[in-house]
Amino acid sequence: MSQPDTIDTLLPASPVPESLPEPLPDAPYIALENLRKAYRIGQQAIPIFAGLDLAIAEGDFVAIMGPSGSGKSTLLNLLAGIDRPDGGVLRIGNSRLDQMGEGARAAWRAHHMGIVFQFYNLLPMLSAAENVELPLLLKPLSRRERRARVERVLDLVGLAGRENHRPGMMSGGQQQRVGIARAIVSDPPLLLCDEPTGDLDRASADAVLDMLRFLNSEMKKTIVMVTHDPQAALYARRTLILDKGRFIEEARAA
Amino acid sequence: MLFQQTRVMIHASLASLPRRFALSASMALSVALVVMTLAGFLAMAKGFEVALAGAGSPRVAVILGGGTNQESGSAIPPGALHALSALSGDPGLARNTAGDLLLSREIVVPVDVADVKSGASRTLALRGMDATGAAIRDTVTLTQGLMFSGGRRDIVIGAKIARALGLYVGDVLRLGPVDWTVSGEFSAGGSAFESEIWADLEAVRAAFDRQGEVQSVKLRLNDPMALERLQQYLAGVAETPLVAVSEADLYAGQSARTASLIRLFGWPLAGLMAFGASAGALNTMMSSVSERAVEIATVRALGFSRLAAFIATGVEAMVLALVGTVLGIGLSLIAFNGWQASTIGANNARMAFDLAVTPDVMLSAGLIGLVIGLVGGALPALAATRQPLAAALGGRG
Repeated sequence: MSQPDTIDTLLPASPVPESLPEPLPDAPYIALENLRKAYRIGQQAIPIFAGLDLAIAEGDFVAIMGPSGSGKSTLLNLLAGIDRPDGGVLRIGNSRLDQMGEGARAAWRAHHMGIVFQFYNLLPMLSAAENVELPLLLKPLSRRERRARVERVLDLVGLAGRENHRPGMMSGGQQQRVGIARAIVSDPPLLLCDEPTGDLDRASADAVLDMLRFLNSEMKKTIVMVTHDPQAALYARRTLILDKGRFIEEARAA
Repeated sequence: MLFQQTRVMIHASLASLPRRFALSASMALSVALVVMTLAGFLAMAKGFEVALAGAGSPRVAVILGGGTNQESGSAIPPGALHALSALSGDPGLARNTAGDLLLSREIVVPVDVADVKSGASRTLALRGMDATGAAIRDTVTLTQGLMFSGGRRDIVIGAKIARALGLYVGDVLRLGPVDWTVSGEFSAGGSAFESEIWADLEAVRAAFDRQGEVQSVKLRLNDPMALERLQQYLAGVAETPLVAVSEADLYAGQSARTASLIRLFGWPLAGLMAFGASAGALNTMMSSVSERAVEIATVRALGFSRLAAFIATGVEAMVLALVGTVLGIGLSLIAFNGWQASTIGANNARMAFDLAVTPDVMLSAGLIGLVIGLVGGALPALAATRQPLAAALGGRG
């Protein structure tokens, strides 16, 4: 696809600067150090991570694979600030998510990341445009500015003219493209994708993966994608295999 | 920005109501039922009050004797009547063109009357009065026939009784040991008087062997302030203690007791029903939050605040409660307003009255409907803010 380099060239600039403070020199964009997380069932603690380390550079596209129960979704939830680690360091940019309360993490999410869900998680009673607009409601933008952004992003994901369609009127692949549009509409530097092709046929999955690769290569989004699908992982620059709470293997795209 | 978040969440919440139609409808209907129940009782109490309040005029004084404040059991001795007739000066009592006081001596006799249609017997108040009796009272209008004649066994019947019993001018009615002829029908603004039968005092006395008896005296006042002067006068003239009260106070006192009793039943019953409806609302809203858990978690994952989720869930509960409240009030207006009921009133006689769904009745019943929404929505709204995002979004690896 021949598209501009960043979404900022597609979208009007936000009136409030939202860019992250510059990361520390040579520091990875995402850094997990000795990260610990356990779930409690009654008195019993079930450890998920007992000292996980990970470094992801800015602009990377990382696929995380592993068997069920390996901790992939937990890791994604921690990276999204949806869940909180029990210990260790979780830094994205120069934000220490491990030290933030829930309100601060919610505000951080609103400004610094977009999330793509396996089952799209679109609000069924809202139109495609209204779903995409949701993250913009957290920003000081006028209605006109929001509408302009939504239109351009829907155009970017190939859904121009479908603004008023509700999710129930769309195929799975189209819904996921609405999900991607929602994730990038506020132009966050980080995209987290939870099995983004897990509910799609091959053709739709490939279209979504092409879209993610485009967002990474052309728009410089840092992408972390959890997937079961080896084909999907081929689109990433790096693939990490997680098992029993540890990374056991790493592969880089040729 | 909170406003926009909340607006979108409210929109999403309300737009998803059709998905939960049965549960949402059951909540609205249970609220409507509570509102109707309470509105029914309050309308009954209000209708009773209105009927009695309409009967009492502040410009009519009622003199009672025998140490009672009700007509039944009251007795005015002849000496007191003579003293009243001889009253001179100007204590503020109305007089006719001949200079005589506008007063009416009265007795009330409970009589059993058979319903023309069903044959069932009901006890009504037969009031024997002087010819001035009707003129003294406010709002009384002869709508059909003629007023009773002195010494004759004629009766005029209140409009409510006429309707309820199916009586018309010319009908003959057996009251006590003798037959009476309906000579006319009167209206009295829907007040308690419309539940009475009026006849000539002497005829009633003769028919029921109550010669010389007077239970009360009604006097027309030039102005309500004259009552106090009349009370002072009575304190000095009668050998038997007499009390003078305004007709308005007399009926207000009677209505207060019965209306309180009706409300005493109505509020606890409505309260219990409201408790049950609140539990139902709680259940409905918990289901709503549960069903929308992923949606709520999704928008919170995008960065929406907990407060927006709280308000949206609360608003949904209030909207359902409002629908139930409006439905309940609407049905109450259709079903209850103007519906005729009757109860045993003063003088041990049946008094008919119209249920009145007035604005204050609607307000009270409506408030309880909204309280159900508030109580039933509060905990689920809190639950919407407390659900763990990771669990709601569902991890699979």
